[in-house]
Amino acid sequence: MAAASDVQNSSGTEQDNEPRLDVDLLKETARKALIDTLNAVNGVKTLVLDPTLAGPLGLVTEVSLLKHHGVDKMFWLEPGPLTSTTANIVYLCRPSIKYVKIIADQIKTHIRESKKHRYILFLVPRTSTLVSRILEEEGILGDITISSYNLQFIPIADDVISLENDNAFKEIWVDGDETVIYNSALALGTLQKMYGRFPRILGKGDHASRLATLLTKPFVEQPSPASEPLAPFDSLIILDRTIDMITPLLTQLTYEGLIDEFIGIKNSHVELPASFLAPPTAPNPSIPNAPTPSGSASVTPLINEKTKKHHLSATTDPIFAELRDLNFSSVGKRLSRVAHRLDEDYKARLQAKTVAQLRDFVGKLSGLQTEHQALKLHTDLSEMLLPKTRTDLFNKSLEVQQNLLSSYEVSAQINAIEDMIAQGESMQNVVRLLCLTSITSGGIKAKALDSVKREFLQAYGYNYLPLLLSLAAPPLSILLPNPLPVSTPPSVAANKYPFATLRKSLRLIIDDNPEALEEVENDISYTYSGYAPISIRLVQCVAQKSGVISNPAERSTADDVDGKGKGSSNKKLYAHPIVGWKGFEDVLTAIPGKTFDIVQKMPPSTNSTTSSVTSLLRPQEQTTTTAVFFLGGCTYSEIAALRWVSRQNKGRKFLIVTTGIVSGDSLIDSIANTGKKLSASKDASA
Amino acid sequence: MDTIQHPSATWEAASNGSVFYRRQQLYMLHGKLPNLDDYLIAGCKNGGPTALMRDASKLVALGGGRPPLAKSQIQVYSPAGESLLLFSWDQNRIVRFGWTFDERLVVLNEEGVYRLYDLQGDYQQFSLGNEAAELGIIDARIHENGLVALTGSLTLLEVKDWEGGRPLALATPGLSEPPHAWAVIPPEQSISRHVEVLLSVDATIIAVDNLESLDQRISRGPFLHVSPSPNGKFLALLTFSGILWVVSADFQREIVVLDTATVGAEGQVNQVGWCGNDAVLVTWNDLVLLVLPSRNNLAGETLRYLYFGATFVVTESDGARIIGHDVCDFIQKVPASSVSIFRPGSTSSSAILFAAWESFLQRSPKADENIRSIRSDLAAAVNECIDAAGHEWEPHWQRKLLSAAKFGWGFLDLYNPTDFIAMGQALKVLNAVRFYEIAIPLTYSQYQYVSPAHLINRLTSRNLHLLALRVSSFLSLKPDVVLKHWASAKIGRSKTSSADGQDDEVCRIIVDKFEKLGGGEVSYADIARRAWEVGRTGLATKLLDYETRASDQVPLLLTMKEDKLALIKAVDSGDTDLVYHVLLHLYKRLPLGSFFKLIEDGGEQLAPASKLLEVYAREQNREMLRDFYYSDDRRVESATLALDEAAQMTDPHAIMTAVNSAEKFFSEDKDRALEAKMMNESVRLLALQQQFEKDSDGKVKFFGQSVSETIRTCLMNGMSKKADRVKSEFKVPDKRFWYLKLHALTAMRDFDALDAFARSRRSPIGYEAFVRHLVEAGHLKEASPYVMRCDGPKRVELYMLCKDWRAAGRECKERGDKKGMEKLINSSPNSLIKRELEQLAASMK
Repeated sequence: MAAASDVQNSSGTEQDNEPRLDVDLLKETARKALIDTLNAVNGVKTLVLDPTLAGPLGLVTEVSLLKHHGVDKMFWLEPGPLTSTTANIVYLCRPSIKYVKIIADQIKTHIRESKKHRYILFLVPRTSTLVSRILEEEGILGDITISSYNLQFIPIADDVISLENDNAFKEIWVDGDETVIYNSALALGTLQKMYGRFPRILGKGDHASRLATLLTKPFVEQPSPASEPLAPFDSLIILDRTIDMITPLLTQLTYEGLIDEFIGIKNSHVELPASFLAPPTAPNPSIPNAPTPSGSASVTPLINEKTKKHHLSATTDPIFAELRDLNFSSVGKRLSRVAHRLDEDYKARLQAKTVAQLRDFVGKLSGLQTEHQALKLHTDLSEMLLPKTRTDLFNKSLEVQQNLLSSYEVSAQINAIEDMIAQGESMQNVVRLLCLTSITSGGIKAKALDSVKREFLQAYGYNYLPLLLSLAAPPLSILLPNPLPVSTPPSVAANKYPFATLRKSLRLIIDDNPEALEEVENDISYTYSGYAPISIRLVQCVAQKSGVISNPAERSTADDVDGKGKGSSNKKLYAHPIVGWKGFEDVLTAIPGKTFDIVQKMPPSTNSTTSSVTSLLRPQEQTTTTAVFFLGGCTYSEIAALRWVSRQNKGRKFLIVTTGIVSGDSLIDSIANTGKKLSASKDASA
Repeated sequence: MDTIQHPSATWEAASNGSVFYRRQQLYMLHGKLPNLDDYLIAGCKNGGPTALMRDASKLVALGGGRPPLAKSQIQVYSPAGESLLLFSWDQNRIVRFGWTFDERLVVLNEEGVYRLYDLQGDYQQFSLGNEAAELGIIDARIHENGLVALTGSLTLLEVKDWEGGRPLALATPGLSEPPHAWAVIPPEQSISRHVEVLLSVDATIIAVDNLESLDQRISRGPFLHVSPSPNGKFLALLTFSGILWVVSADFQREIVVLDTATVGAEGQVNQVGWCGNDAVLVTWNDLVLLVLPSRNNLAGETLRYLYFGATFVVTESDGARIIGHDVCDFIQKVPASSVSIFRPGSTSSSAILFAAWESFLQRSPKADENIRSIRSDLAAAVNECIDAAGHEWEPHWQRKLLSAAKFGWGFLDLYNPTDFIAMGQALKVLNAVRFYEIAIPLTYSQYQYVSPAHLINRLTSRNLHLLALRVSSFLSLKPDVVLKHWASAKIGRSKTSSADGQDDEVCRIIVDKFEKLGGGEVSYADIARRAWEVGRTGLATKLLDYETRASDQVPLLLTMKEDKLALIKAVDSGDTDLVYHVLLHLYKRLPLGSFFKLIEDGGEQLAPASKLLEVYAREQNREMLRDFYYSDDRRVESATLALDEAAQMTDPHAIMTAVNSAEKFFSEDKDRALEAKMMNESVRLLALQQQFEKDSDGKVKFFGQSVSETIRTCLMNGMSKKADRVKSEFKVPDKRFWYLKLHALTAMRDFDALDAFARSRRSPIGYEAFVRHLVEAGHLKEASPYVMRCDGPKRVELYMLCKDWRAAGRECKERGDKKGMEKLINSSPNSLIKRELEQLAASMK
């Protein structure tokens, strides 16, 4: 596959001084709300925590804060008895039936053993009739006080906020439970309260449209924010995941994406061998080698080594900020460059002649050490990833993906997938490839599909039959036979994904040949080494129209050729104002699902004249924020691609808003319900 | 001007002229009320109405002009003597009636049933519970925010607030007979913030609260009257022998001890009440005696007010209202600001300011002189004039005082007129409501206490919507409350005629008015509920359509039994919790069949509800879900449900049964042949696995594994025959079998067997797979021999993977591949090998 090199680097490291929304405000709000919640219960308390909330909570608070507010002990909300020494027992969980039953069991046990406790249940993000009903059915509604902790968007990067709901996709499109949509509407409402209204709401997809309707319904009088934010919203683009199922099915090839694919990132945390996180041994070692292309296929002994959770965050780890959005193929080069730079910096010590110079150096030392440690971590990490990208199966899978995207010999690809099943490829990846085949080629020939399904069930277990049924069932319909059986509802046939058309009209595939290499580097398709994510192309249809038709960065690279490398950033064009889907109406009609473009009335009251006028006649000087909401989750690669789009123009920042971060595997897992086991790790209670 | 009395004309001095009391005539009654002597009376505080019921213990003379009220009728009069309400009581004997803070009449009967009547005669009914009904209620005391009832067994029950809450038992006083007299200090006024009951028993008083019953050890009793002051700090007690005894509420400080026999009144004492917090009123027929403490005489001082016939005293926080045969009066201590200005001979700065202004009106130079003389106190004088204006009843004097204040502030450099404006507004409102047709004689301090919003509620409860609306817009309050009440009243009023056209008409009028007056926050649901309560379902539905908040709309629709509409609205709102609310409610109420039918008939529109029901049922109520799928012929879902259950089971037999039933469901759908077949295989596999486990004496676990895993387990445990059997029984393709065997043998490091296997026949997966897998597993040496069997062109690369450089070199040489050799040399790991390779290369040519 094409190797995207460093062209995007210059923009990656570039510090831009344009204002952006301060998303830390959300974190503060969530934190304060948590404290208020805990303080609402007097005295010392035992906290029983929903394991799926631990991750999100970990992003807004730390254990010490809980201890400060009277939390004596913490337990996971798990089946089994609960022993507590405190009078108060506080449950904090999402309103899921499974949890309520555990709670009911624990309380009933206490009652039987005539232990006296006060029970308080905080539901996230709001109370639920369902929960009180079940507690009533269990006969303990009178013993427990129910309240809520309104945890909404959590910032996971300075331009990404998330509801951190891992199951959003499955709940909406498999279960048909639209709670997430309603909660999203509430959360977006809060966002509007804090940062001002979205003057315009655009989007694509039936459920996205539902969300937009809820959002534009007059909930309650929305007061305008206390202070005008630095970069007010110019619009909200809502995309529901089903308008682009292709992207998450593909293997992500950015650094962060690949970590997610291979190791898995959960709530911005990744589990790594403890040795990766140990401080570097010598303060000034020889330059750590960039991932050696030694080809030694040594098996990383990951299983036996102790692992540790690490928070991947660009704010505390500048090297990660540089690396996260790079195509993995250029990570090695970048790491060695950082290593060189670090080495130079260390060498500055040798040049320090005067005491003042020395003091200067010592002042920088701790920064250098942090960077050094980070460098070691990322070197280790990419060394760990590298062999995985060289396995036969991995490359076969990439090849199949690429062939499918260009609709090359589809039936051969199905055979290849069957071979991969035989070779023991992971269940998730096989499903991903099968769905990809179905979507890109409008269904799999019925006979071939039956045979591959049989293979699949034999290899992975008959218990995956419901998974296959779910994938085929509307509204998802991403694993279909061709032609469709007579009994399928007409809506399924009508909603066939027009991939071949889109490939052309949205310029999805950039040829993988040496001449086109440059082009790949200058387009969002670098994230998938030659394929541009449809979702981001659609965002471009609204916010960077030129980028859909040709590469917006071409001009600047042309300048680069002329000489001044970095000068191009000054010549960045201002982003054009939001004018809706104009120019791409045909493309959007072709994609199944509702298309919408709603202009919201701006609050008539305070600073009305200024804000409404600015929203109409956007003065070029003001930076605005375009919020992009992924209903059903987005991938790290899509985030990377959107950041790339953002860098091409002045005057527009993107705020990526999502129900959660997904990858193909996590989507399949959630549908298959294999992630059911509570992954309660130990360290959250540490 | 002269026709209007000077304010001080009604004053009477006490305590050597340092304190004045005034009697302000509020309304002329001219015998609009019956003879009060024959009636039981309850007066509502803060200028509220009075309720009368015939005292059954008294004889009534016939033909006394007006027809007397029938026995069980209650009549409510405004302070101006207008009849507001007359209703009949159809329940058991009334024990007591009284008023709540929000002007509702509480009527309690001997069975513990009590009703709250509003001024329109609509009521809510509550009960003190079964126990109270059995014991019977013999008496009660009603205060603004609750009541205390005395049961037949002489225990006390307290009701807090008027929400129909469960009555709480107070501590048992341990009485043997009903108290001679008793009273309640409401929680707001008591020190403990809980209600306190004072019972006159024998010679003493027993104080009871929710915790304990305490004998106060008093020997003066028994008492005929026990009357706490409005602030709860003092008590006025009247003994059987006619001694009036005023003490602090803790009985520690005696304030007045007066023998009422010395007063010279005839007959019995009717009532002992309070005039504000600093004087006691004792009434006889024809006489109202005001008793106030005196510094040098324990008997206190008295002021006498003469009336014709019986009177009734309504104690107010700042005075007392006296309702007599001819007049309704207000007696109060003259407020300090009024005294300061109007006391004859007053030389206070405010009095001088007032005089100055009068001089100014007469164009007298004295005005300037006066102002000069009080320069330093002018601001205080202005404030005092404003305050005094608030306490004057006559608009004439109010205006004069405010003008004087305005005149005064003209001489001040800086003055903040907020108070002035507020007073002006308040007086305008007060004068409007005091008008005899409205008849709410609210004093300024009462108005401050009850708040303007409360006043507006009182107006609306009299159906004075227009005035209420004007007052609220005058005070810039939101019109919502008034509009809401108006709409409810409107609906209630038009309840008699409920033709279809009428509904539209009323609905349109209401909506128009709301939109015009901007009652944007009025909940249509509340009004619709009202319409439904009076039986106008059609109107309720129409109004409900205007409700934007589904959370308000849906519950009412449910009570109206508009099930489908409720469900649709809930689904439309997007609030899944609301949908659950409806679903669970309906599930409880409807027969299962019609419940399912409702959802199934909803089609696309109710699809989200159906899905949510499935989510709920899957976790909590599988039985229902099975029925649901079954009733809708949803075979695939039924099958999936069976499989889902199988996944949660542990018993092998149960699992197989569940999978079997899934197969059955699939086979009933002709499009699901593959699925049925797969389930059939699944059962067969499970059976086979059971047999294998038995064969291995349970040492090897098979149950629940996939076909591939089963084969692998067989191989790993040396049961290759069994593996072959699985392969043939489940028609496992060669390729997969070979990979499985390759992986299994590699994992076992059984390289001999692997070799034998590789030679058994031509590999369907080629030999490159062998090489690569062995390399990936780290067995380089073992991988190398297999390279020979791979395709020629790939061998060099594969040898390199195996790090078998020599073999790779030989291969290059054999193939004459110079380029390959070069590459090989470049990637050689050490100089030794490099040299060797270079030699080979040299020998190539």
